[in-house]
Amino acid sequence: MNRGRRRRNRDVVSKIVMYVILIPGAIAMITPLLWMISTSLAPDSVIVSYRLIPSRITFANYVKAWEFPRVFDEAVSMGTFFKNSLIVTILITAPALIIDSLAGYILARRRIPGVNLLFYLALATLMIPFYVIAIPLFLIVRRLGWLDTYQGLIVPFLASGFGVFMFKQFFQTIPQDLEDAARVDGCSALRIYASIMLPLAKPVIATMAIFKAMWSWNMFFWPLLIINDIRVKTLPVALTMFRGLNVTQWGMLCAGMTIATLPILILYLSMQNMFEKGIVMGALKG
Amino acid sequence: MKQKVPAPTGTNAQSGQVCSIPRAKRHKKSIYKLAALLESYSFVAPAYTVFLVFIFIPVAWAFYLSLFDYSILTVKNPDYVGLRNYVMLLRDSVFRVATWNTIRYTAGTVPARIVLGLAFAILLDQKGLRGKNLLRTCYFLPVTISMVAASIIWSLVFNAREVGLANKILALLGMAPKGWLADSKLAMTAVVIMSIWSELGYCMTVYLAGLQGIPLEFYEAADIDGASGWHKIWCITIPLLKPTTFFLLVTQIIGSFQVFTQTYVMTGGGPGYSTTTLINLLYTKGFSEFRMGYAGALAVVLFIGLLLTSWAMRRIFRAEEIIY
Repeated sequence: MNRGRRRRNRDVVSKIVMYVILIPGAIAMITPLLWMISTSLAPDSVIVSYRLIPSRITFANYVKAWEFPRVFDEAVSMGTFFKNSLIVTILITAPALIIDSLAGYILARRRIPGVNLLFYLALATLMIPFYVIAIPLFLIVRRLGWLDTYQGLIVPFLASGFGVFMFKQFFQTIPQDLEDAARVDGCSALRIYASIMLPLAKPVIATMAIFKAMWSWNMFFWPLLIINDIRVKTLPVALTMFRGLNVTQWGMLCAGMTIATLPILILYLSMQNMFEKGIVMGALKG
Repeated sequence: MKQKVPAPTGTNAQSGQVCSIPRAKRHKKSIYKLAALLESYSFVAPAYTVFLVFIFIPVAWAFYLSLFDYSILTVKNPDYVGLRNYVMLLRDSVFRVATWNTIRYTAGTVPARIVLGLAFAILLDQKGLRGKNLLRTCYFLPVTISMVAASIIWSLVFNAREVGLANKILALLGMAPKGWLADSKLAMTAVVIMSIWSELGYCMTVYLAGLQGIPLEFYEAADIDGASGWHKIWCITIPLLKPTTFFLLVTQIIGSFQVFTQTYVMTGGGPGYSTTTLINLLYTKGFSEFRMGYAGALAVVLFIGLLLTSWAMRRIFRAEEIIY
């Protein structure tokens, strides 16, 4: 009995420690974000808000931030950057999933000559940091005439060794009998891939899609190199234009950042588990 | 699955006698096989075309480029200069400063992320913790935010004036405001703090996934032996999480050596060169000064350095006989 009580005491202590560490830690993590939102809602006269909810709330900063890019080009607003980012994200993610899964299916299932070499090549791409190839890639894209275009942002990323690898690993776990049965029934390889393999791969496709979409949405270095035209800029690159505001117009600056981050935050909160899985999947990338 | 594919020529002549399948049918079969083969290759073709044109050719080109004095501004043909770019690079004091800054950044961020990530993961993994999901969300939130937006917000936090959040907190603690990003001694610290914040949730979530893989029986057995909580963490949790730690170490170190966005957005590499990292330097040399050959040499050196690092780490961990 004595022992039981001691144990209960220990549980209480550990719980207090946990809350003393965990809750302040969590608050520290989200403070910059809350501060950003709070300041974005405060009127200009306040400059910076230190309250969770500012004493006077205004959305004027959001309107100003949305229209801010017009300083550089009449035809451009924040909407333009959202549109560009959305186009690039969708046109990378969707084709890349198909291209990666097609290759992954062959690598997992067909003993074609050179299949091992192909697999090692896919792994080799994982070893190459993007910054190493950035300069030659820039020269290639320039020679193709793709500077300041969507295709320059999209085409180099239509396949990834990581995607091929993940799909190959997954397709290997599907029983061979399933495919053999379909083949006896006279299904073509494309049919097998499209109507047997892909439906089974739905969970992988979902996490992979989130991983890729997040990656393309946040891509920064590459667009910074090849996009000069403000009308083609994606959101992360466009956001750097706001930097100049940090001397005076903090409200507007914070509103701009809030506009840029809110859609992803909402998306994350609405499909939390899938998001975490998709991002953590990158952990396998070694 | 490994079938012996008969050689297309030669065997056909004998096959009539050896094999019971009529020749015409056999012929049809080999055409069928060829078609299947072509189909397979056409499935992998798009991916490998992308790899070839946008990864493998650029890698080879990066090595080649580093041997030339190449600028996209001049029209003239690039001059072959041999290893001169490398010699210049190693003599360049800015390169040395950038390497040192990158190492400082890595040493500041990686251990902190891993230790804190593990600590928070263990704390969050306790049974019967209320509000676990909400807490987890708070820690993970920064990971989902674009690095550019986060960097801009943090440059407000570390604003040198008294209105910055960091200085406001210092004032509450009764301390004098600091220059942070404007102070060459503190700028890297500020960048490191921001970077720990942005990736901590990621490390924590990877550890949480790793913790799910530890069988509960180990803890139950330890309970029977009367092991304390610390003991269990020290003798069960941490050793069994070694593969996770290894993965995080390798990926985080490699990632940290390529830090760019934070320093580019928050400080632009300044004040002076106090936060210039290797990739900042590569960007400046390649795309502001357009010295592509020189930047190419920098890229090659970085690449080889990273390969050696990951190879060495693999050796170290293998020496400890970790099976994964």
